[in-house]
Amino acid sequence: MVALEARGLTKCYYSSVPAVRDLTFSLSEGEVLGFLGPNGSGKSTTVKMLTGLLEPTQGDVLSRGDRIERDLIHYRERLGYVPEEADLYPFLSGWEYLELVGTLRGIPRRSLEKKIDALLELFTLTPHRYSAIGSYSKGMRQRILLIAALLHDPPLLILDEPLSGLDVTSAMVVKNLVKTLGEQGKAILYCSHVLEVVEKICSQVIVLRKGKTIAYGPPAELMKAAGQASLEHAFAHLVEGGDTAQIARDIAAVMKAA
Amino acid sequence: MSLYYKNCLRARWQALSQKPFFRLFLHCTDCIFFGSEDAHAGDVDIGIGAVFAILAAPGTFVAVGLLLFKYSPLTHYILHETHFNTYVVSFSDEYFFIVLSFTAAAAIAVWKWDSLVPDRRDYGNLAHLPLRRGHIFLANLLALLFLAAVASVDINLGSSLLFPLVACWTAPSAGYIVVFFTTHLLSVLLAAIFGFMAVLAILGVLMAFLPYRAFRKCSVYVRSALLIFFVAVLMTSTSEPKKLDAIRSAISWTRVPPTAWFAALCQWLRGVRDPLFPPLAAAAICGSIGVLLVAIGAYALSYRRCFLRSAETMVILPAGGGVIARSVLRMLDKTLLRSPFQRGGFRFVVKALFRSETHSLAWIAFTAVGVMIASNNLLLANAKPDPISQIPSAVVLGVPLVLTYFLMFGVRLAFEIPSPLRSNWMFRLEVDPATRQCTALAKRVMIVFEAPLLIVCFAVFAYLWDWRIALIHAILAAAMAFLLIETLLLSFRKIPFTCSAPPFKQTTIVSVILYIVGLFAFSAVVPPLERQAFRDPFSSAVVIVILLMLWWLCLYAAHKNQIEPDRRLIFEDTLPPAVEVLDLTFRR
Repeated sequence: MVALEARGLTKCYYSSVPAVRDLTFSLSEGEVLGFLGPNGSGKSTTVKMLTGLLEPTQGDVLSRGDRIERDLIHYRERLGYVPEEADLYPFLSGWEYLELVGTLRGIPRRSLEKKIDALLELFTLTPHRYSAIGSYSKGMRQRILLIAALLHDPPLLILDEPLSGLDVTSAMVVKNLVKTLGEQGKAILYCSHVLEVVEKICSQVIVLRKGKTIAYGPPAELMKAAGQASLEHAFAHLVEGGDTAQIARDIAAVMKAA
Repeated sequence: MSLYYKNCLRARWQALSQKPFFRLFLHCTDCIFFGSEDAHAGDVDIGIGAVFAILAAPGTFVAVGLLLFKYSPLTHYILHETHFNTYVVSFSDEYFFIVLSFTAAAAIAVWKWDSLVPDRRDYGNLAHLPLRRGHIFLANLLALLFLAAVASVDINLGSSLLFPLVACWTAPSAGYIVVFFTTHLLSVLLAAIFGFMAVLAILGVLMAFLPYRAFRKCSVYVRSALLIFFVAVLMTSTSEPKKLDAIRSAISWTRVPPTAWFAALCQWLRGVRDPLFPPLAAAAICGSIGVLLVAIGAYALSYRRCFLRSAETMVILPAGGGVIARSVLRMLDKTLLRSPFQRGGFRFVVKALFRSETHSLAWIAFTAVGVMIASNNLLLANAKPDPISQIPSAVVLGVPLVLTYFLMFGVRLAFEIPSPLRSNWMFRLEVDPATRQCTALAKRVMIVFEAPLLIVCFAVFAYLWDWRIALIHAILAAAMAFLLIETLLLSFRKIPFTCSAPPFKQTTIVSVILYIVGLFAFSAVVPPLERQAFRDPFSSAVVIVILLMLWWLCLYAAHKNQIEPDRRLIFEDTLPPAVEVLDLTFRR
């Protein structure tokens, strides 16, 4: 069953240049869809439209065949979202933040507390659970965001840079978690710049450039079509990022200049 | 039995706090109280208890003071005043409490300006949750009304309990005290809610009708203007009842500040017969309802226009400054700012002082108080014309000094307010802890802030009097400003805004008293001497020079006595340990 579908999504901000143009894709249950693109390609705008935070200028977002605006509350009950930036309330502790999110999601108190404690333990945050978020490191904030997205066991997950700031162990845990959740039948939209991970865990990949889809398919097919051995090289080839080695040499030269 | 009720209450509270809407309401209350998008860990943080105590203190102290000095039985016995009309006698005090209530509540709203409406962070954290958008609006509105109510009660708690008892000690009956108490309470509470809601209405209207960037740009100026207005209103607390009498012939609610409406309402409710009171009382009631409706309406509009569009807006900082700013900076680089640290630090400090709302409000608010005091002094001086008009009066000569004192004090205070401490790693990494340049940097910033004031002062004095008088006065003001800067930076060893807020020390109260005495010495002692010096140059000029020399010698001695560890750069201002452990072990 199709968990999430975008049909001809277009978003124009105040300027006339559209941030996203005619984006169409679908995400089925049990599928992990990689969402790639260089900075400024329209990924975050798309994610905001998919979560209902931003209204598309044109096109529709559908969940299980229905437009999400028809029942946004119900759609969000089934959605777990990790935003790009971990902008949390610094005056709350990690535990308090999760309790707030869980209560607002209507999770019964007893099971909520158990879940929070168990997830904090698994994400190695138990010793810091009562410390203010203002004192957390970036990785700790990111783990809090991940727990907040998983608390209510959502069938649809939208993860925007979930590995940002995580240490190696936590990143491996999250990587395996995404894989496991996909196998359990959850639909996952996974935005990342870590292409090695995308290559391993995603069944489908979309590549955006300047708001337009330039590639859509399984990672292996993309690599084959681009004639590259890895997704990283295929991506660089697709987005025409230029000769990266040459750019690095130019930077070094500018650094030396008086 | 009490345990049973306690458990029942606890169970009910737990059940209530599990309801999403109530939890959201509690969260919104927390957000309003604990900070806005810009608030970060390490910033100035005062606990709820301390804030409530600070708010309740002025009214309580004044009520106690009135008991001792105005309404005490002993005073009345000495003055042979055994029978008097409490309503008439207490009118000026009633007016004072209303002004205090109004300004304190409005000042809270100005202080919490950025957290009154949900911001971008609220949007990021709440908008994707399964909540109705109307619920977020309603929860925040209820939290606002709750905060307004709590603040209003807290500000007036002590005074409302004490003042009626103090003022009505000769009351003929208990009913008289009850009437006095209820009318007083109603007036001060209405005044507080009016003040709070008026600020919310202004905020809502600005957010609803201005583009987001324009709103952010003008926000600090509006807050400063409001603060100046509140200081002005506060200064009417002793004069307005007399003014009310003066305008008796032309009754108009528009000719008096809103606080006078509530004073009139109070007297009208008490049944004091005066043609002045009914229209003003009506203005108080209509004004309160009107402001409440405008505040809610404007807040709803701003919520729709700003909060729901948070994902589409972006904060853009002004790029680089204008041509004039760049030229001034280039000139300062060549003259005043001698090292790369000073040049970089100067730009950082000045940008923070103008762009950060907290910092700009600190120094602008202090300057505003200075402007109000100087204007008040000038008005009083005009009431009593000076016989010798060729030489400016002492009050006029004192104006630049009052302004200097408050401006320098405000800037110095702003230096102590940390900007997000997590960003200070750059300074920790780059700056040598043994450097002596932090004081030099702070000094230069203060000089640059002071210079325009001195130039304007010179121009005005030259235009109104004589260029020689203007020059002499400007030189004296500059010398005093320099010594004031040196005094304010005596134990300064931080890069402005990069160190945690200073803790409360035992010497803090002494410092506050010294600053108040300092203001008197700075702006009230020297101007009469200076004026005398214009008439009789030798005797008074020598006294001034000796005074300034003594001041400089004190500063010199204090500098000399500073030990090396007290001069090292700090990023965390902590209290020294109560017990210093000495390492007296022998090492080979």
